[in-house]
Parts: sequence; C-alpha cells; structure tokens
Amino acid sequence: MITDMKKIYLIIFLSLANLLNGFGQSLTQLEGSFKTGPAIILIAILITFVLVGIFFRAKDPADYYAAGRKISTVGSGMAIASNWMSAASVLGMAGMMYGFGYNGLAYVVGWTGGYVLLLILMAAQIRKYGKYTAPDFIGDRYYSRNLRIVSAIFTILISFAYCVGQFGGIGLMFKWILGLNYTWAVIIGSSVVLLYTLISGMIGATKNMQIQYVIIVVSFLIPTFVMAFKFDYFWLIPQVGYGAAVTDIVQGIAAPNIAGGEALLNAYGHDLAIVPSPEFAMPWDPSTGTSFFQWVAICFSLMVGTAGLPHVIQRFYVVPKVTDARWSVVWGLFFICLVYWTAPAYSTFGRLLSSNPEVGSLAKDAIVVYTAQLGGVNGLIVGLLAAGAISAAFSTVSGLLVAGASAFSHDLYVKVINPESTPKTQLKIARIGTVIMGLAVTIVALLKLGLIAQLVSVAFSMAACTIFPLFLLGIWWSGSNRAGAKAGLFAGIMVTTIALTYFIVGLSGGRLPGQEFISYWLNVWYFAWFGAPISIIVNIVVSKFTTPTPLEIKKFLAEQVHN
Amino acid sequence: MESSENYNFSIFRPRNVHGRKNRNVILTMLLVWIVAVFGFQFLLRAIEKPVPEKALVTFEKLWPAVKTGRVSADDAKSFLNSLIMARGKGTLKTDEQKVLSDVISCFSGQMLTEELRATLTSTISEIESLRLMLPALKDQEFLATKKRISELSNSIVVITAPFTGIEKGTLESEIFKYTLKSDYPGTLNDKSFEGLEDIMKLYMTHNQSILTDTKFLGFPFHYFYTAVFLLILFIGLCIVYNILIEWRLKKQGVVE
Repeated sequence: MITDMKKIYLIIFLSLANLLNGFGQSLTQLEGSFKTGPAIILIAILITFVLVGIFFRAKDPADYYAAGRKISTVGSGMAIASNWMSAASVLGMAGMMYGFGYNGLAYVVGWTGGYVLLLILMAAQIRKYGKYTAPDFIGDRYYSRNLRIVSAIFTILISFAYCVGQFGGIGLMFKWILGLNYTWAVIIGSSVVLLYTLISGMIGATKNMQIQYVIIVVSFLIPTFVMAFKFDYFWLIPQVGYGAAVTDIVQGIAAPNIAGGEALLNAYGHDLAIVPSPEFAMPWDPSTGTSFFQWVAICFSLMVGTAGLPHVIQRFYVVPKVTDARWSVVWGLFFICLVYWTAPAYSTFGRLLSSNPEVGSLAKDAIVVYTAQLGGVNGLIVGLLAAGAISAAFSTVSGLLVAGASAFSHDLYVKVINPESTPKTQLKIARIGTVIMGLAVTIVALLKLGLIAQLVSVAFSMAACTIFPLFLLGIWWSGSNRAGAKAGLFAGIMVTTIALTYFIVGLSGGRLPGQEFISYWLNVWYFAWFGAPISIIVNIVVSKFTTPTPLEIKKFLAEQVHN
Repeated sequence: MESSENYNFSIFRPRNVHGRKNRNVILTMLLVWIVAVFGFQFLLRAIEKPVPEKALVTFEKLWPAVKTGRVSADDAKSFLNSLIMARGKGTLKTDEQKVLSDVISCFSGQMLTEELRATLTSTISEIESLRLMLPALKDQEFLATKKRISELSNSIVVITAPFTGIEKGTLESEIFKYTLKSDYPGTLNDKSFEGLEDIMKLYMTHNQSILTDTKFLGFPFHYFYTAVFLLILFIGLCIVYNILIEWRLKKQGVVE
C-alpha cells in the first residue's frame, strides 16, 4: 500500500513538473492576481492528501482516535512535527520577528522549549497510563465524571482557539494563490481541510502528516538557500548564514551590497541597503512596543501550554511502546527545530528586502511568502512555499479537529450521554462534531482578531491554565485529588475568562475597570504566566485539606505509571 | 490490609531508589532548562544599558539650534541626515512617518534657495499626482509612469545635492526622494513637531550590552544564543534524558 502511494505521489509530481515550467511567472506583484503555477502545485498536493486519506482511512474508533498504535518512532516524530508545525510556525513566527524584533524569538523558544517539559514530565507517563484522550485521563485520574465533561469542553475550546489562527493562515495563502478576497479564501480553504479530515480521520492524517512534514521542510528550506546564496551570505547553512544579515541590519548597509561587481537588487530592482536598525535584534526594544516582562510571559506561557495541549498529548497514545513515546519527542523536536532555525532567516531577509520606503512595511503574516517574492526566488518555488504553508496548517487542523471531535464523541457522547452506542454511531458522532467545529472556526476566522501567532498563543495559555496543571499534578503527586483538581481547574478557568473578557471588550472598543492594567499583565496572548501557577497552587492547597485520593488510584500511579 | 500511605509519592518524595534517581535526573534537567532559557534573559536585562544611535546624538545636539534657525551648512546636512536615518526605520507607525516626512520636507526646503524650493515643490507635486494614478494603470502605461516618477525623483536628488549633501545612488537619497512632500508645515516650530524628540528617542535608543555587541558566527551573540543555541540545547537535553533514563532502567532490569 505504501509503495503504491509512493508511485502515485511520484507520478503526480513528475508529470506536473514539465507542465508547471510553462507557468513560471514574474511574481513581483505581491497580491491580487491568480497565480497559475502555485495553484497547480497546491491542487496536486491537496489531491495527494485526499488520496492518502482514502487509502489509509479510519475503519473503527480505535483507528480514528489513535491510528491503531501502528506508528514508528521516526514516523511518529514526523507526525508530531507536522502536527505541531502549523500556520503559526511557518507563517506567523517569522511575522512576529519581522514586526517585533527580538520579542518574536520568545515564540521560537517557547514553542520548542515546551517539548523538554513534555518529555521529562509527561510523555512516557501518559503512554503508561494508557488512555486515548486528555479528558479520558483526567476523568479517570480524578475519578470524576464532571471533570471529564469540563476537560472535554476545554479540549474542544482549546482546539477551537488553535484552529482559528490556522484557518486564518489557510485563508491568507489561498488569497495569495487564487487572488480571491480573504472571505472567499477562508471559506474555500476551510471546506477543503474539513472534507479531508472527514475522509481520513487520524490514521490517514498520521500518514499524511509524514508526507506533509517533508513538503513543509523542503518548501520552507529551499528559498533560504536561494536567498542566502543570492545575497552573498553563507548559503550552505542559511540557518547560520543569516546571522551576518542580522548584523548588517543592526549596523546598516550604507551602499548597495556588491557581489561580483554588481549591486544586489530585490525583485523590485531596489538596492539591498538599510539604515542602521538595531531595533530588529536588540532585546525588548522600546520601538517595537514590547517589554522584558512580555518576553518572559510569552515564552513561559507557550512552553507550559505546549505540555498541556490535548492534540499534542494525544500523539503519545499512538506510539506502540513507552520508549517510543520518549524518542518520538526527540525526533519530533529535531524535525520542528529544522523549521524553527530557519524562520528567523525569513524575517531577516524580509527586513532587508523591504527596507526601501517604496516597498514599505509588509503584512506580517505573509512575510515568508513576500520575502521569497521580493528576494526574486523562482515563482514556482514561492508557490511551493505557499503550498507548504497550507500543508502545515492542514496537518495541524486535521489533528485539532480529530482531538476536538474525539472530545465531543468519545468523552462527552460515549462516556456521558450514550455509553451503549455502537462503534458506527461513535464514528458518525465524531464526524458530526468535526463539521460543527469546522464551521464555527470558519466564522470566527473571518473576523481577523489578531496575527496568526497571537491567535494560536491564546490556545496555549488556555491549555496551560486548565489541562497542564491537571496532568502535571495528576502524574507527579498522588495527593492531588478530585476536590483539588476541581478547585484548580476553576481557578484556571477564572483567569482565562478574565483575560478573554477584557480582550473582547477592548476589541469592541469598550472599557472595563482596570482595562489597561489587565490588558498588559493578563494579556490574552500570555495570561498563563499567572493562570498556570495559580491553578497549580489552588489544586495543591485544596487537595491538602480534603478527602485523600482513593487507594486504587494511588496504587495504579505508583505501580503502573511510575513502575 | 493495604495502606494508602504506602503508595503516597510526589516528584520531590519518590517511593524508592529508582524514583529518587529519576527525580534527580528530572530536577537537574529542569534546572538547566530554566537557567538556560530565563537565566540568560534576566542576565541580558540586568546588564543592558540604553544606548543612543549616532544619529540621535547628532539630532539632540543640533535640534535646539535648528529650531532657532542658527545652524551652519555642515551641521544642517548632519541634522538632515539624522532625520533621514530615523525615517528609514521599517517599524515606524503611520503617524510617526508623517511627522518625520513633514519635518524633512520643511527643513530641506529651508536649506534651499527660494527659486529652487519652488522648483522642488512643483516637481514633488507632479510625483504625487503620478503616484495617485499608478493603481489604475496597467502594462506599458504603468511602466512608463513608474519610469517618469523615477526620473523626477532622481532629478530632485541631483538639484538639491549641493545643499543637502545627499548624493544620487546612496541609501539616503532613496529615503530622501521618497519622503519629500509638497504640503508640510511652514516652520519647524509648528505644533505638529512637538512629538519629534520623543519619536527620535523611541526609535534610536536601544538596550545594548556586551552580550549584544559581541559577534558570534556573524550574529549578535544574544541573538545566536536565543535563536540557534537554545534549540540545540533543547534537543541535547532530550537526548541526554532519554539515554540516562533507559540506561537506568536497563541497569535495574525494569521493563516498561
């Protein structure tokens, strides 16, 4: 089956290669036109995804939720990386560094450093506990149907918040390729990703994630080699080579950069010169409107949120053995870092290439594609880059929708509403849940509430305030009991609610008491710096003064989870 | 009968030797992780100093004299250059761009003769009207208009060069010709320029230290550390942890 798929994949790409050469076009127009070559690449990739989804489609609930636990360590690592690397990683992160300089690096560090926490505190223990979903674990560990329900609802909300940024990214790339307006681009993109997830489920998604990872990495890396070579930086390892470009931005390039006797120009014919701009690299530069506190708060929230995201935790259920859970994190992190080392190169070249006032400041969320365009990279490679960004969003969205649908059908419907339901009914409910969630996310994505990376960071803070403390204490402290978990979860939800309320009121132009204070210290992008510790403290304090954890739970944790 | 107490544990109080060794590994890893990530940022914060760019130093030295109109020709050129350095920043907000464009237009106008100023204003007006037409044009018309704008812009640089010291083909000229406006306040004491000093300070003062000024593999060191090294460290920590844990499990004959 896999060999067949490889053949299909190869044939599609080889046959398209010649055709696409005929569509290579000047891409100096950043927006607004239909781009034939990139469109064909995108369609080919999407067809491949759907075919893979059909070949490896879910046949029963076990396949749908956990890919039948048939995934290898490296394969699982690729799936983790692909599942992880969303539009926020591929598009949003470079945009944050382009717009906010050094503070954008808080996203790079936060989204990778969290994997260390995940590995040493959770991966193997979660696999040993042997549950399918995050609400499964929480309901069982805290022997509480209500906690299962609330955590299932939060799993859906977290997946929902995460999806909003992804759908926005999909919309931006469809807009760029198809030349449509944002609304239609989001609607078309959302429909395609929804259809794909419904067809494939997680087992198809896992196979696809491996293919998607390869597409994301190849499409993301190639333009940086080209630009580093073209602009006379160390191109063999552009992930290091761009460092000299950062220094050039800080110190300024007074005269056109000369390589081989010719001035280096961007696609608009402008010299590669820039005024000294230390604000691009200096820490928490005042001109970027960011502060030291925000750097630390964002980084901490993203790290802790990483270890609490249901769709990330869920990946550890699909590996066959405990040791595989551990090594799949290492592989996953390595594969993720390949892209994360490269993203700052885009923001750096983007800053250089848009330094001419006539080009002006570019839209942050599309900076990756614009940089490749302005850098004069071949149109088809830029098209592949855009398709890679869509792949990144697709792989994450499919994982998120499955996690959300799992929470809806497995944790709410089967465990609470209708325990007697047949596997066929369960699958049907999972698919209905996927559709409802997909439609709702599309509507919110159309509102354009923030930058992609910022929107996604809301999901991280939510996860850090609600799911993470329950997992951390549930695994590592036998004394954490049902009452403590409920109180801790309530505290986390309160902080989340306050941050979200102030954000929504502020967005609609209203003001609440202490609006500026809360908007800064409990900002919706990083409120977990406060919410997560508070939730943990409340959990511990209440657990100390209430009925202890039952013997069978303690025994299971001591003997099964901690050997 | 089994006692619940026998199964009490926490990460700080493991139940057996295996648990204690496991705890030591985990806490060591966490400590390295926290110090490497946050310790470095706190260090950066602790030793940083606000450092002004050269252009800001020039601006602050000359601004009082410029406002009173008592400034030498060379100082005027230096002052204009400092404004252009600020206007070239990619992160300026729209209202800040306007203030800087206005002050550059106003000050450079004062540096010219009256006749030349009139020529300059009419040329800029023509460029502005051509720029407004651009979005509606296509193909050859678009290219021809762009070419005309470019010619007019270059002519501005050439005719003003003896007064401004800005030579054609330099970065300063690119910013200068794009920045000039035909409509701007008539005096540098205009109310709209009150925020100029704050804008200059905001965009031209940066948190720097030995960690930001040292270069490593072409990077400012702190940038390399955060963007490249920390990620390598994370992977390294994960590998070391896995090897240590599996070595310990094997040594103790534990099958997971």
